[in-house]
Amino acid sequence: MKRRDFIKKAGLTAAGSVAFPYILPSGRLFARTTAELADHVVYVLFAGGVRQQEAVLKRYLADSQGVDIEGNIMYNMINGAPPDRKIVYGTTPAGEPTGSLPIPAILGTTLQSQGLLFPEVQAMNGGHYGGLTSLLTGNRSTAQGLKVRPNVPTIFEYLRRHRGFKASDIWFVGSGIGNSFPLLNSSGHESYGTSFGANFVAPSITFGSEGIEVLSDAKVYHPQEELEPIHKMREFLNNTFRIKNGEVQGIKNDPDEKAKIKEFIRQTFNKGGAIAKPPAGSGGDLNTIAYAAEVLKYFKPKLLVLNLTNVDGCHSSFSNYLRSLHRADHGVGWLWNYIQTEVPEMAGKTVMLATPECGRNLNPNPIQDENDWYAFDHSGDYNTSRVWSLMAGPNVPANLSVGGESNRVGRTTDNVLTIAEIFGVKDAVANAGFVDPGSMSLFDRI
Amino acid sequence: MQIFKKQWVLLVGLVFISSCKKDVFVDYEVNPLGLEDKSLIKDRSKTNKQFISILYTTLHQQAISSNRLIRTERVIESFGDKTLINEVIVSNYMNSGEVILPTNEEMRADLDQFIVDAYKLFFVRIPSEIEKAFFINYIEANPNVTPELVYTAFASCDEYYFY
Repeated sequence: MKRRDFIKKAGLTAAGSVAFPYILPSGRLFARTTAELADHVVYVLFAGGVRQQEAVLKRYLADSQGVDIEGNIMYNMINGAPPDRKIVYGTTPAGEPTGSLPIPAILGTTLQSQGLLFPEVQAMNGGHYGGLTSLLTGNRSTAQGLKVRPNVPTIFEYLRRHRGFKASDIWFVGSGIGNSFPLLNSSGHESYGTSFGANFVAPSITFGSEGIEVLSDAKVYHPQEELEPIHKMREFLNNTFRIKNGEVQGIKNDPDEKAKIKEFIRQTFNKGGAIAKPPAGSGGDLNTIAYAAEVLKYFKPKLLVLNLTNVDGCHSSFSNYLRSLHRADHGVGWLWNYIQTEVPEMAGKTVMLATPECGRNLNPNPIQDENDWYAFDHSGDYNTSRVWSLMAGPNVPANLSVGGESNRVGRTTDNVLTIAEIFGVKDAVANAGFVDPGSMSLFDRI
Repeated sequence: MQIFKKQWVLLVGLVFISSCKKDVFVDYEVNPLGLEDKSLIKDRSKTNKQFISILYTTLHQQAISSNRLIRTERVIESFGDKTLINEVIVSNYMNSGEVILPTNEEMRADLDQFIVDAYKLFFVRIPSEIEKAFFINYIEANPNVTPELVYTAFASCDEYYFY
């Protein structure tokens, strides 16, 4: 090597080691900055657009229909007594009025009492896709288009890249494939992207009638006699093919992870729908929650993000919205209880964080339901920006509420830094430069 | 000294003569051919719809119904790892008994033709000699390799995702 080349290369190496001191085999660019606060996180996108009035403010019909009845219909998550009249939010016993039987509480102690509540948080985006994108990227996402992946990295990519988690450690369980939900498992950012994305599954389809038709009869190949030759031949074919532009779309699991996921799919179909479910039944969000529990039990993922949507029925039926809200609370309470009782590897080691992606309007639209109650949209008034965040688990202060109706504390974009802090990579995520600069970890908001 | 002078003049003269030589273009009257195998340049990714439609036709020798196509496409969209879920779909087809496959005996009776046919069926191209040699050697050395396993490898490899 020439002297000049040597000096040049040595200089570049020295500069590189100063600029990127921790390029580790796991792909992490920076060392962890803090100790981990928990081993697992379950992040509930309590989505669909939840009005503050029927949720943490516990006003039931008082602030929506001009009927002076207050009460809490989310009594697994939030403290407060339920309404005592005009009960429409529950299940429907045979021969009884619709929704007249409230679902019994599952948790002896609410998540609010077990953890930390921010009752007045600013939603950074008033639409579903934009709101969800903000919850997953920590960015305001004002320039985010529909039907494209987020412009900036998601929490999935941050954790996989900076914390070194495998694809099967990170799951996004969606309520469906509409509204571009499947695109939220990674951004399109060139430095992150699908290589660091989450495993996405929409159980209502994957394990619904379509999945049964298309996937359930899959052959189980013998690992040595059949799978090995398939892998050998495929490896040869892949080596002889040169992909010039781009690569096969979607996230990648390594062969061991693939085998594990295929086995999960096979086992789930073999159960024939006989999986653990919230007692109030299945369907809609509760179905999604039940399959999320299956994913938790099988993979014990580091991060599982669960997306709910049914409360969005509020566009056309306020009564259905109340039922969906009540069932979502029931489902979240059941999931928390399931983790503590049925998944010993995660019990006591999991933080749960729940936040709606946006609120709903203060004033109703003209649509009335069977109870002559008016429905509500979410078109971007101040009320649409009012949401809450609730967190419980190890190292989360118990029975603490920060902020209030007249003192807004927190943003929906805070959650990404909060999860990053739980896994000890808050600084790395903040330093990447894509999180909204006004955002903070919820731990720092206290 | 005189001799050196003459040689010097001769050398300079030679340089001038050779540097002014006119290029001669030879025309062999054949069409120019690129050395690169164009059939290997497949840089456009199939959409889910294209993938499943082509896969079904390849394996069943008949077109997929529109209803089944839409339902299968939705299943692919419902899962993040596309290659994984496509492998499960291929495996599901293989278990259906509806896939048209040569028998093991037919395959082994004329391995050379089987490999050429497989490349044409899945990749719409002729295999190179190296590719043929690999498969012939591999299948001959592994008696448990069946046409189903070969087809599964072809249907789930990277090249099959592109056109």
